[in-house]
Amino acid sequence: MGEPSKVLISLGGILDVTGEVVAMWILLAVVTAVCLIIKFTLKEKPGKFQNIIETGVEALDNFFMGLLGEKSRQYFTFLGSLFIFIIFSNYSGLIPGVGLTDYVKAPTASLSVTAGLGVLTFIFLQGAGLKKGVKHYFKRFISPIFIMLPLLVLDELIKPASLALRLFGNVFGEEMVTHQLYEIFPIGVPVVMMVLSLLFCSLQAMVYTMLVSIYLDEATETE
Amino acid sequence: MTNSAIIALAAALAIAVSTIAPAIAQGLTAKSAMESIARQPDAAKDIRSTLIIALALMEALTIYGLLIAFMLISRI
Repeated sequence: MGEPSKVLISLGGILDVTGEVVAMWILLAVVTAVCLIIKFTLKEKPGKFQNIIETGVEALDNFFMGLLGEKSRQYFTFLGSLFIFIIFSNYSGLIPGVGLTDYVKAPTASLSVTAGLGVLTFIFLQGAGLKKGVKHYFKRFISPIFIMLPLLVLDELIKPASLALRLFGNVFGEEMVTHQLYEIFPIGVPVVMMVLSLLFCSLQAMVYTMLVSIYLDEATETE
Repeated sequence: MTNSAIIALAAALAIAVSTIAPAIAQGLTAKSAMESIARQPDAAKDIRSTLIIALALMEALTIYGLLIAFMLISRI
């Protein structure tokens, strides 16, 4: 979908390094660096930097707490990482120059990356469901009546696909609109769309994790 | 009409038609959500989160149309 990414370093056709991969490496480096700095300078009496991070983590915790209740703590690592990854990838498309060159591209504007996230989410949801008990897991597929089985199995497969397509479509669409505006008139005009993107990028990350937590709530609910 | 002209029209129709219906639906959803918030400001938080989910699910339909349009354009 879209245009195939330009290969920067070829590694046998499967593990090719493209602009998205470079962007993800940079993202990984920045997030890891922030985490390490925070880990080693953790204090009883927080400074300015620690305060900012604590506010962010607390907001995330409250967000998932409101959706999942007490069990959100158990899955907070995965959901929080997902949120941080998606929101930073979305915002990386707004950095001037990103997306215009082949070397750095917003990761979530590529279907391969969002499809990867979808597969990850699928595995996570099934794993979380199975962990609650195998019998309970299979009971969910025939829960109202037996005839629902094919529909519910299909539903389980469509969920990650629609998540991936939604994220990709939104971010890619924004990038395309910004790009088109840039082609029309490069000075000033793209800012209009970029300001809107500031809102949409965080909204998409929120929507993705929100839907994942709702599916998780469905998968792990106990009577 | 040539083949590519038909494909271009189909792509335009795919995104246009798939925008109209979700736009109406989203407008109705937002309208009733705002009315409920105005009536019951205490429940604003719950309403907002369900509103976003509902809007996102409707948004997906438009995105599918957009993807089809892109697929068609790449065929020209």
